[in-house]
Amino acid sequence: MATETDQATAEISSFQTDTSTRESVLLWVDDHLKWLMTLPAVFILFALTFYPLVRAIQMSTQQFLPTGTTFVGVQNYVDLASNDAFLNSLAVTGKFIGIAVGVEFLLGFGIALLLNKKIKLRGLWQTLILIPMILSPTVIGLIWRLLYAPNGLLDYIVAPLTGGANVGWISETSVALYSVILTDIWQWTPLVVLVLFAGLQSVPDDVREAAIMDGASVRQRFLHITLPYLKSLIVLVLIIRLVDALRVFAKVFILTRGGPASATNVISMQMYRTAFRFNNFGEASAMAVSLLVLVMILAMSFVKIANVEFGS
Amino acid sequence: MTTKQDTHADGLPYKEPSGVEKFQETLREYGVTRTVTYGLLGVFLVWTLFPVYWLVTATLKTRQTLLSFPPQWIPLDAQFGNFAQLFAQRPDFVQFIINSTVVTITTTVLATTIGAMAAYAFVTFDYPYNLDFHLPFYILSTRFMPPIVTIIPLFVIFRGVGLVNSLQGLILVYTMFNIPFAVWMMKGFFEEVPDSLIESAMIDGHTHLGAFFKIVLPLVKPGLIASAIFTTIITWNELLFAVILALNADAMTVPVGLASFVTKFSVQWINMSVGATIALVPVLLFAFVARQQLVRGFSMGAVGK
Repeated sequence: MATETDQATAEISSFQTDTSTRESVLLWVDDHLKWLMTLPAVFILFALTFYPLVRAIQMSTQQFLPTGTTFVGVQNYVDLASNDAFLNSLAVTGKFIGIAVGVEFLLGFGIALLLNKKIKLRGLWQTLILIPMILSPTVIGLIWRLLYAPNGLLDYIVAPLTGGANVGWISETSVALYSVILTDIWQWTPLVVLVLFAGLQSVPDDVREAAIMDGASVRQRFLHITLPYLKSLIVLVLIIRLVDALRVFAKVFILTRGGPASATNVISMQMYRTAFRFNNFGEASAMAVSLLVLVMILAMSFVKIANVEFGS
Repeated sequence: MTTKQDTHADGLPYKEPSGVEKFQETLREYGVTRTVTYGLLGVFLVWTLFPVYWLVTATLKTRQTLLSFPPQWIPLDAQFGNFAQLFAQRPDFVQFIINSTVVTITTTVLATTIGAMAAYAFVTFDYPYNLDFHLPFYILSTRFMPPIVTIIPLFVIFRGVGLVNSLQGLILVYTMFNIPFAVWMMKGFFEEVPDSLIESAMIDGHTHLGAFFKIVLPLVKPGLIASAIFTTIITWNELLFAVILALNADAMTVPVGLASFVTKFSVQWINMSVGATIALVPVLLFAFVARQQLVRGFSMGAVGK
């Protein structure tokens, strides 16, 4: 009898101890919740973006030899200035971005304006044009490999112009970059359409109607009402496209691997080759750091220009 | 062609129309602008969708009909054997699909959970030094860093700790990659949840953490679903990190496997088309299920609000 009671008491007390430990843990967790909840995100981002960035800067001052690394100071950066392949990749990337983003913006803006009229089945149309954006760049590269293939669909379409000769869409040095650009335009024009259309929808009807009542012409309404409303979205979509186009890799990798010769050798392709084909991690890191500085300068000056142009 | 109706916006004060407006008026009278608008939108839709149609129908053609002059617009003699042939010739493709699935599901769960927790904390708590403002901004800024910048040191670091050619390494990188979007997506949703709800849950005996999981998370389910779908699509599609960190067949994902069908010198046309179509189907299914969130996400959330 006594033993049973003892046992029961022991059980109760152990149960109570359990609860109180558990409770104190929970209390501790609640007290430190604001740090515990943010820690995983901050830690992972710190470990996998900030730390590698520091390492990239460090590696850019080193030369990688089979025997180990030696410190070479700014030599890798000096070498970049006379590295023709690197300078060429900058030019190729610049051309790629200039044409691709320019066409995407103008075409996308035009289509967003069309879409802003009273259109039946607009929702369905919007959903369908999303498709290129969600496809893997790998799949997109393969789709266009198929279209650009010798005797493929595009060769057939332009046959009346070429007399049936193959264009060599991705094998002809003078054409290949434009083919890669066309693929990018195909993929990303819908993004411009969707973002700018969302902006057009946010122009209040009464403002537009008031302008019509005041006798503003179509052109005046576009310049003084539509554009100011769209300003921030235009800047945003251009920055997004600019930053994304600057790091284009998968499409080029699948379509041309940077070739023929180095006609489509964009900067990320050049870095990939330098690091993983030629094992020149030092120079590749110097390219990476330069690219990052370039991205930051571009993005910041873009925001600044946009603010001066339109006024904030 | 429609007959003329709604040609004049009525009740407006008269103003001499400009040349452009007169021209537009004429077009409108003949119902042309409407037709032209639909025509142009239709052309854009065909231009956008036809390449996808071309890939999917390629899976049913033979090597000869695939690249023929004139092209075979509709696969008449459907070669369903092409699918079996891919797996017969490339048995490793099954492994790629398994790897991609494991990596995608794990990454989606991790990135969405970690991102949602951080977003909730930033919205709810006050931090010293204005960190609840600066940290989300730092997190967002990492999204703008070109991945190629970090991939070179990451490869060296991962090689040092044995994470190259492992699914764990890929999962880690993809989780990092997707957290910024999850944080910014979820922040908007948590801001809508009233504080009083959490307070009353805590009075009812929930811990704050318990209230978060049992009361708050169910309320922001649409946001969780949206960021999970974005993470799934981005992870399933990714090539750059995978091609550098997972070159071993044991850790290869579908995009890397697909890339191996296409080299500078030769292309396995039919296998390539079948493989690409297999990679494309889950993405299209997800997109169809979540089309509403996707349109909103792409026009708002995905671009950082």
